[in-house]
Amino acid sequence: MKTKQLLKLGTLVLTMAFVSCKKDDPKTSEPTPVAGAYDNGVFITNEGPFGSGTGTVSFYNRSSSSVSNDIFEAKNNYPLGNIVQSMELFNGKGYIVVNNGSKVEIVDGSTFASSGVINGLSNPRYFLGIDNNKGYVSEWGASGTGAVKVVDLTTKTVTATITTGKGAEGMVKVGNTVYVACSGGFDNDSVVTVIDASSNTVITNITVGANPKNIKVDASGNIWVLCSGQWDLNYTTLVKTGKLVRINASNNTVELSIPFASTYSQPSSLVINNAKNILYYSYNGKVYSQFYTTLTLNPTATINRSFYGLGIDPTNDYFYASDAGNFSSDGKVIRYNAAGVVVDSFTVGIIPDNFCFK
Amino acid sequence: MNFLKISLSFCYLLWTLAGFAQLRMDSVKQLPVLEISTSRLAAFSSGNKTETLDSTLLNRYSTSNLADLLANESQVFIKSYGLGSLATTSFRGAGASHTAVLWNGFNLQSSMNGMLDLALVPANFLNDVKLQYGGAGALWGSGAVGGTIHLNNSNQFDKGISISATTSFGSFSDKQQQVSFEISKNRYVSTIQLFNHDAKNDFPFINTAQYNKPEQNQSNAELKQYGFLQENYFQITANQKLNTRFWYQYNDRNIPPSLTQNINVANQKDKTYRATTEWQRNSEKLILIARFAYFDEGLKFKDSLINENSKSRSKTAIAEAESRFSISKFDLINIGINNTYGEAEAADYLKNPSENRTALFGSYKIHSKKNTWNAVVSARQEFIKNKEIPLTSSVGIEGEFLKCFLIKGNVSKHYRLATFNDLYWIGIGAKGNPDLKPESGWAEEISLINKVHYKKIVWELSATVFNRIINNWIIWLPDQYNTWSPDNVLQVWSRGVEYKLNVNYSVREFKIQLSGLYNYILSTNEKSTTVADIAIGRQLIYTPVQNGQGSFSFSYRGTSISYTQVYTGYRYTSSDNRHYLNPYTVGNINIAQQVRLNKTKIKMFAQLNNVGQETYQVVAYRAMPLFSCQFGLTIFINQQDKKTKQ
Repeated sequence: MKTKQLLKLGTLVLTMAFVSCKKDDPKTSEPTPVAGAYDNGVFITNEGPFGSGTGTVSFYNRSSSSVSNDIFEAKNNYPLGNIVQSMELFNGKGYIVVNNGSKVEIVDGSTFASSGVINGLSNPRYFLGIDNNKGYVSEWGASGTGAVKVVDLTTKTVTATITTGKGAEGMVKVGNTVYVACSGGFDNDSVVTVIDASSNTVITNITVGANPKNIKVDASGNIWVLCSGQWDLNYTTLVKTGKLVRINASNNTVELSIPFASTYSQPSSLVINNAKNILYYSYNGKVYSQFYTTLTLNPTATINRSFYGLGIDPTNDYFYASDAGNFSSDGKVIRYNAAGVVVDSFTVGIIPDNFCFK
Repeated sequence: MNFLKISLSFCYLLWTLAGFAQLRMDSVKQLPVLEISTSRLAAFSSGNKTETLDSTLLNRYSTSNLADLLANESQVFIKSYGLGSLATTSFRGAGASHTAVLWNGFNLQSSMNGMLDLALVPANFLNDVKLQYGGAGALWGSGAVGGTIHLNNSNQFDKGISISATTSFGSFSDKQQQVSFEISKNRYVSTIQLFNHDAKNDFPFINTAQYNKPEQNQSNAELKQYGFLQENYFQITANQKLNTRFWYQYNDRNIPPSLTQNINVANQKDKTYRATTEWQRNSEKLILIARFAYFDEGLKFKDSLINENSKSRSKTAIAEAESRFSISKFDLINIGINNTYGEAEAADYLKNPSENRTALFGSYKIHSKKNTWNAVVSARQEFIKNKEIPLTSSVGIEGEFLKCFLIKGNVSKHYRLATFNDLYWIGIGAKGNPDLKPESGWAEEISLINKVHYKKIVWELSATVFNRIINNWIIWLPDQYNTWSPDNVLQVWSRGVEYKLNVNYSVREFKIQLSGLYNYILSTNEKSTTVADIAIGRQLIYTPVQNGQGSFSFSYRGTSISYTQVYTGYRYTSSDNRHYLNPYTVGNINIAQQVRLNKTKIKMFAQLNNVGQETYQVVAYRAMPLFSCQFGLTIFINQQDKKTKQ
């Protein structure tokens, strides 16, 4: 009887040992990127998982066609922070806006070595370099507010706050004037705030369409604003549809306002080519183009697909389009040539969103 | 239920509580008045693996919450966002809403999000906790998918008047006070337990996720909670019983930032009222039970950084009736009806949703003459207006053989209804889906338990193999217009093995217990309705493949020392399994000394947490404290009633 029991126990224990031997170590496949290799290519900001995760920056090298992921942590040994929104290169430095980390991380533009952090921000969205000593950071702030924070680039501190419309988002600079699209943030708004960058004061607020997000300057110096429209209370219908608006920068007035027809699709991701004469945007599941002097919307799509984020490489007018997949795993970037034909694709980080071309 | 088993556990309970041999004689005498369990778990679950965390163990965790208790003492993975923060479960590789939490038989899962925050349940309010692994939809309805946690309160008549008071102080300004008062008469027991808990939780840690890796103290982590539980038990007549319970609790917690956030000023306040009553009539041929519950749960969330100030409230009314009878000496039948009405109000719902669910359930149990073998067939059909809900059934069998072996097997269907949030949420960029189907599937398990008594040693080894499919798993994804919305997307396949070993050695008042647990569980996405989903074939996020626990406890007279070491393996944080968190192992020590002065017992205790100073994260970038400790004192006074003293 006893031996029988022992035998059975032995079998149990053995199965246990067998099972425990199976390895479950996850494999890391990230190659360590070579420092200083970031001179000819594209930085991709990946928001990272929601909740308490971290975003990352990937780099696509144009000459070697190779991709390096999470280059910030690889170089600096700490993660970027929660929800990486965007990155801008200015005077040799990279300014990476970390939305839910309430900060901007500053790195060397070629080695990606950390060179400080700008704190004191609330829901920051984009960075815009003004001069050698000054930068602007647009931020949503608390619901119902919006601001541009003035940053001293030497001391890396916020020196002033310019109150804008709600949910300050995209920014462009024409001469010494800065145009800020006020997206509404957690609320709704419909203005572009115009700032005199030398005095950091608001010149005027130009009413455009509902919830303007993206803003670009064309070849003739005019400002294009993409307004995403406004939902009704149950988020089923757009009570105000999207609009593509052109502002004459010489007198700050709206000279063209083209509404979109759809009451359920919001236009998004406005980008412009290198010649600054064709704009592109996502709408109704497709990517459309808009020639800068045409007064109506182009009914023919350039790419029959929608993306989470979109960028145009100024060196060759290639589209960089991001696919966030299931939003909880590494996403992809798909490259299209100017005609809208797929070139290639590569895997980046979790929820790729914005592009910064170097 | 095995009567001997009840008796034994009852003896054990009293013996450990009192620590005096002479009391054991009294308790044996009292045995006949012990009530037969009214729970369907005891009477009609067959073949599922179950674990009991008894009052001795709960006593050791008297100043902890349910999440800490389960993280250290069970095979369930607890996903904790930090000290005192939100904590949810993963049973056998399932999700947080796949665990039914039943308080004396009533489901506490929120109608809004399908979960219960286990960090909000004080362990000292409970008399025992039972964990039922595996699907049990036929017994408990929606949500009993991965497993079911049974939180039980019970009481005994004729114990006189007892007063107990506990105070404790711990690291990071943790202060707790508990008072309980009980009158236990011949046919009437009334108890009230109160608790108050304050903590700053401002533990130091190195923020490895920030520039220059600064040493920080956890910010915005303050916690304040208080509440009471009032219970009454009446023996109305020889065969009729009634009990009432009322549990009020208020929790005010700040929500600390993650390592990758710079700042968080959010605050969450929960206020819950839970009232229940149960009536039971036992006659020789028929047991009738009727129970009612009313829950009112309010939540206020405030985040001044984003001007968020939201409120939500949910109310649930449950009415259940069941009857038990036999048609022969070898069987037992249960037939019942349950009606659950839930409603919720929140700014994020366009219209306040409500739902009425009616369920019919029944079980048939057949057992051998000596009750060493039994088999149970159960079925449950739930009805909701305009919704199709699958018929749920299960078959379980268990029995002893070769004197020292117990074999259990169970095949069951399970399901989970979509929550109000899944169905009706409306907000910026996110929208519920009223057309969601319930998640459902089948689960199978087999356990083999070897129990040997050899001289003073009791050895118990159990091994379980399980398999489970969940179809129509609901996840939120953005649609082509970038609006997030839930859908029935995935099929998830979980399977694994679980081992548990317990060795007890006792000679008179000297007792040693050794135990070990080990799990190997794969839980993978098998099918997806989204094209080229990279998650296919990959392990679900935050479900460790391996975890284990080892513990050692020793007691002699009034002294007890226990040591527990928990190991949690890799957990993936992305659904392509490219990103993960490292394994961690945390050791805790509990020391207690009890002395008796006349009718007064005094217990001093110390709880030492993370003695190995492990730096770890349960959830990505959520800081956990290094070493922490807690010291406390309990005074217990019992005045036996002269008239009824035996």
